[in-house]
Amino acid sequence: MSISKISPELFHKLVGLAALELISAEGAYLLTEMNHQLSSVNALLQVPLEDDIQPTLHGIECQGAGPRTDVWQPFPTPSEILAGAPETEDGMFAVPDVKGAK
Amino acid sequence: MSLNQLSASEVSSRVRAGEFSAREMLEASLAQIRAVDGVPGSLDQKPLDPAEEQKVHAFIRLTEDLARSQADEVDRKIAAGEDPGALAGVPVSIKDIFTLQGIETTAASRILWNFKPPYTATPVQRLIDAGALILGKANLDEFTFGSSSESSAFKPAPNNPWDPSRVPGGSSGGSTASVAAEEVALSLGTDTGGSIRQPAAFCGVVGFKPTYGRVSRYGLMAFSSSLDCPGPIARNVSDAALMLQVIAGNDPKDSTSSVLQTSNYLNALKEGVKGLRVGLSPDYAHLFYPDFETGELAMESIQKEISDAVQHAASVLSDLGAEIVENVPLPNAKYSIPTYFVISRVEAASNLHRFDGVKYGYRTPVDVEDLQDLIRRTRAEGFGSEVKLRILMGMYLSSEGYAANYYQRALKVRAMIRRDFERAFDPHGEHRLDVVLTPTTATTSFKRNDVFGNTVRMQYSDQMTVSANHAGLPAVSIPGGLDADNLPIGIQFIGPDFREDLILRAGYAFEQATQGEAWRAVRPAVLRQEVTK
Amino acid sequence: MKDYEVVIGLETHIQLNTQTKIFCSCKADSWEAEPNTNICPVCSGMPGVLPVLNREAVRKGALLAAAMHAEVNPVSHFDRKNYFYPDLPKGYQITQFDEPIGKGGYFDLHMPDGVTRRVRIHKLHLEEDAGKTKLDHGLRLVDFNRCGVPLVEMVTEPDLRSGEEAAQYLTQLRQLLRWIGVSEADMERGHLRCDANVSIRERGSQVLNTKTEIKNVNSIDAVRQAIIEETKRQIELVESGGKVVSYTLDWDADTGKLSMMRSKETEADYRYFREPDLLPVVLTEEQIASIKAELPELPLARKARFEADYGLSVYDAEILTSERGLSDYFEAAVASFGGEAKTVSNWMMNDLSRLMNDLGKSASELVLTPALLAQIIRMVEEGKINAATGKSLLRKVEDSGRAPAEIVEAEGLAVIADSDALRAQIQAVLAASPAEVESFRAGKESLLGWFVGQVMRATGGKADPKRTREILNELLNK
Repeated sequence: MSISKISPELFHKLVGLAALELISAEGAYLLTEMNHQLSSVNALLQVPLEDDIQPTLHGIECQGAGPRTDVWQPFPTPSEILAGAPETEDGMFAVPDVKGAK
Repeated sequence: MSLNQLSASEVSSRVRAGEFSAREMLEASLAQIRAVDGVPGSLDQKPLDPAEEQKVHAFIRLTEDLARSQADEVDRKIAAGEDPGALAGVPVSIKDIFTLQGIETTAASRILWNFKPPYTATPVQRLIDAGALILGKANLDEFTFGSSSESSAFKPAPNNPWDPSRVPGGSSGGSTASVAAEEVALSLGTDTGGSIRQPAAFCGVVGFKPTYGRVSRYGLMAFSSSLDCPGPIARNVSDAALMLQVIAGNDPKDSTSSVLQTSNYLNALKEGVKGLRVGLSPDYAHLFYPDFETGELAMESIQKEISDAVQHAASVLSDLGAEIVENVPLPNAKYSIPTYFVISRVEAASNLHRFDGVKYGYRTPVDVEDLQDLIRRTRAEGFGSEVKLRILMGMYLSSEGYAANYYQRALKVRAMIRRDFERAFDPHGEHRLDVVLTPTTATTSFKRNDVFGNTVRMQYSDQMTVSANHAGLPAVSIPGGLDADNLPIGIQFIGPDFREDLILRAGYAFEQATQGEAWRAVRPAVLRQEVTK
Repeated sequence: MKDYEVVIGLETHIQLNTQTKIFCSCKADSWEAEPNTNICPVCSGMPGVLPVLNREAVRKGALLAAAMHAEVNPVSHFDRKNYFYPDLPKGYQITQFDEPIGKGGYFDLHMPDGVTRRVRIHKLHLEEDAGKTKLDHGLRLVDFNRCGVPLVEMVTEPDLRSGEEAAQYLTQLRQLLRWIGVSEADMERGHLRCDANVSIRERGSQVLNTKTEIKNVNSIDAVRQAIIEETKRQIELVESGGKVVSYTLDWDADTGKLSMMRSKETEADYRYFREPDLLPVVLTEEQIASIKAELPELPLARKARFEADYGLSVYDAEILTSERGLSDYFEAAVASFGGEAKTVSNWMMNDLSRLMNDLGKSASELVLTPALLAQIIRMVEEGKINAATGKSLLRKVEDSGRAPAEIVEAEGLAVIADSDALRAQIQAVLAASPAEVESFRAGKESLLGWFVGQVMRATGGKADPKRTREILNELLNK
C-alpha cells in the first residue's frame, strides 16, 4: 500500500499559501517530516467509518450561554492596542503597500 | 520543612490563619527559584556553564514586583479582616501562553517577544482574585507545539528536575518543572493533546485536564481551539482540586465555555472508591506506531515499569473496594494521533494567521518591497521550525482537494473515539465504568535532543493522553511510581463529561493509600543537591 | 450582429444597524469616530480572545431572510474563511459557508413600466466586516473601527437582465431594508455594497457563460453604468472573435471606466472549516415564528392596499409607501381625519412634503403629528378656515407644537363666519369699485375672481371664498 506524499512543488505552493519563506535546508527538513507525519495520517484513510457516524467538532455537546445582548461596552483602553503596533501613523496601523494593489 | 515545600492548601490555610504572611511565602518561593532555577529563558542564547546545565530553567520571566504587590494586598486583607481568597498567598506560575495585562506574554516565540497584552486571561484573573501570587511566566514549547518544551525560542529550555539532562515533557514543561522543583505550589497549564498530563507524568506531579469548556479559554493564545483546555498542575490531588475550584465555571467571554454548574471538588475527594467501577483497556497497553514507508500501524510495547505501575494502581484501588473491569475495548485509540495530526494542525494554521507583524509583536527589521514580503519575512524569522511545520501541515490538510479526505474524515474518526468512551461509560452498557485507568505515557522522560527533530516520535508521546482531548473528557495524571532510573511514572484516570469529581476521587484514594510506598520518599535530583539559600 | 442578452447576478453586503458589532461589544456605527478608537482585543485580532455572537444580529438576519421569503435555517453555522490581508486582523473572516441563516427566497421588483420582475435569492448569510485601509505616501494605513460590524451577504440567482433592473433591485432593496429596520442602507456610508456578476449569451440560450465580477461600485447609478459598460465590452469582445475571461473588474466612478483587477483563475484557497470558537446558531420554531410575526406589511403589499382601500393613484401610492414612517403617518392621518383618503394624500404630497423638505425632517420626526394634520384638514373642509390659512398652519404647528385650533383662536385666523360682517365687507368693496361693478353688470363675468381677491385683501385672507362668491353673486346680480 503506498501512501500519498507531498511533492516539492506542492510544498512550495503551501509555503506561499502559509505566507512563509524558507531557506532550503529548513525546507528539506520540513518536507521530510511532513511526509513522515502523512504516514501516520494515512491510517485515517484506511479506518472503516461506522455507518451512522457524524463529524464532531468538539467531542462533547457544548452547552454554552448562547448569543449575547446587543449592548455597547467600550473597551477601556483602545490606545493600548495601538501602542503595541510595530509602526503607526496618524492613529492607524502602518504597513508597506500590498504588491500590485491599485 | 521550608515554606516552599508546603502544599497549596497548607499555604492558604496557614496564611489565612496568620501563621505566616504572604510576603514571607513569597520570599521563600523566590529563594527557591534563585537556588534551583538558574537563568530564565531568553532569545539570545548564550552557552551555559556546567552548573547552569543542572538547573531547572522553568521560567521565561519572573514577575517579582507583581507578586510583591499581590502579597501585600493579601496581607492587607488579612489584617483588615477581609476574605483574602481561597488561594491566599499561594505562589503560582503561569504557562506563558496565557495573557497577563501589561506584562510580556511570549508564547515562547520570537514573534511575540515584546507583546504586552492589554487584558488578562480569565483563568489567570480568577487565580489573582483568589489571592494567588503570580511568580512568573513558565517556559513551554513554542506556541505549545511539542511534547518536550525543547522547541521554545527562549533558551535554555526547561529541564526535568528529576534529571536535568532530561526533558520535563511538554508543552507545559516549565509549569510542571516549577511545581516539581518546589519553586511554586501550583501552575496553570494547557492541555491540547496531553500537554499538562504528559509533562506532569515526566515530572512526577499531578496534571489535570478538565472537561472541554469547564475552564474558560479567554486569554489562552489558541493552538487548537476545539481541543485546548486550561488546567491545574500541583504536587497532590487536593491542591489540583482546590485550584480547579477557583478557575472552573462559565465565562461569557468564551462562547464554548459551559453553563453547567461546577460541583464541590474538594468535597468529592473524600468519597472514596468503594464500588467505583475502574476500567482497564488492552487498547492502552501498546503504542501503535506508523511505518514511514507503508503507513501501517505496528504495535510497540510500552515501558514495562509503566504497565506494572498501572497494574499496581488497579490492585491498590481494588483493595480499597473499587471494581476493576478488565478488557474494556476502546478500539479507536490507535487512530487518536493520526486524527490529532489533522485536526490540531488545521486549527493551528488558522489560529496563527494573525501573527503577521502588522498589529503587535515582532516585525522583520529587513527592508521589504511590499506587504506580502513583510508578512513572509516576519513569519519566517519569528516562527521556529516546529511552528512552521504545523502551519504547513495544517495548510495541506485543509486545502481544497484534500480537506474532504483528511479534515472531514478526521472529524468522523474523532466522533468514533468519542463513541468508544460513551459506550464504556454508558450506565446501561456492558461495562458501566466510572473511570478508565491507563498509563499516561508509553515511556518515562527521555534525554534532551534524543527525540527532538523526529516530530512523529515526539507526537506519539501523547498517544495515551490525546483521546481524552478528542472526546472532550476530563483526565488526570498522577504520580504512580518511579522507574529504575528514578524517573517518574504517571498513571491516568479518564472520566465522563463534567465528572471531574470521579477522577479526583480515584486519584486521591490511590494517592492517600500509597503514601507509605518507598518511591514517595525519593526526591527530584535538583532538590537532593545541597543548596545554599 | 447577433442578439445578445446580458445575465446579471448581484451580491450585496448589507450592514446591519445593530448597536454593537457581531462578535464583540464595540459600536456597530463608528462613521464619525477617530481611527482605531472603536476597537477592542477581539475585533483587532489580538491573540487569546474569542468571538461572542450578537443575538440582535441573528434576529435581524433572520428577519431579512423572512422578508425575502427565504427559508430561515433553524440551525446555521459559522465558518472560517482564511486569507491574508491587512484589513483582516485575524487572518480569517468569520462567515457562513455551507449552512447559512437563509436559503432560497425571492424579491419582487416593481418596474417603472408596471411589470413585476421576480429575482430569486440564492442565499443569505451572516459575516463580519473587515477594517478600512487607505494609501498614504506608499504606506498602507489600517483602521479597525469598522472591523467586526455585522453584515448580511445576499446573493441573487443570475435573474437580472439589464443595468436598469440592477438599479431597481438596489433601490427597492434599500427601501425594504429601511422599511423593516435592519439597515440604514446608505450606499455612501457603505451600509449597502454591491458586486455585480455579468455575462452575456445569445438571446434564447439557457447556457450560463463565463462571467466577470465588477467590484467597487459605490452608488446605484454606478452599478447601472458599470453594467452597461461591461455588457458593451463583452459583446464587442465576442463579436470580434474574443473570449470572455473570468476577471475581477474595478469600476472607477470618476472616469466611468472599468479596469482589470485580477484574474479569478488564481483564486485563493480559503480552506473553509467550521469555526470552533462558536457554537451553532439555533433558532427554535417559536423564535422563527415570532421573528416572522415581526415582519411588517412590506412596501409592495402596502402600496397595493393603498390603491385598493384608499383609492389612491399608482403614483400617489408609490410616493406614500416610499418610506415606512411616511406611510404610517398617512394611515394615521386618514384614520384621524375620518374622511376622504385622497384629501389627506393631496395635503401630504404637496404642502406637508414641502414642509418636510424645507426642514429636512422625515415624517416620523415631525412635531406636527398625523392627528394634528387631520385637525387642520378638517377645519379647512368644514370651512372654519380657508385653504391658505390651513397651509400656513402647518408650519405654525410644527414650530410651536401648539394645537391648530389654539393658534387659530389666538391669531384670529378663523374665516369670517358671520354673514353680516362678511356682507358688510363685501358691500364696502363693491362700493369702492364702482367701475368694476359696472363692467361686471355689463357682462364681464370674469371680474368675479377679482372681486373675490379684493374681499380677501380687505379681510386679511379670512373671508370664506365660497360664501364670498355667493354673496357677491347675490349683490352684483341685483
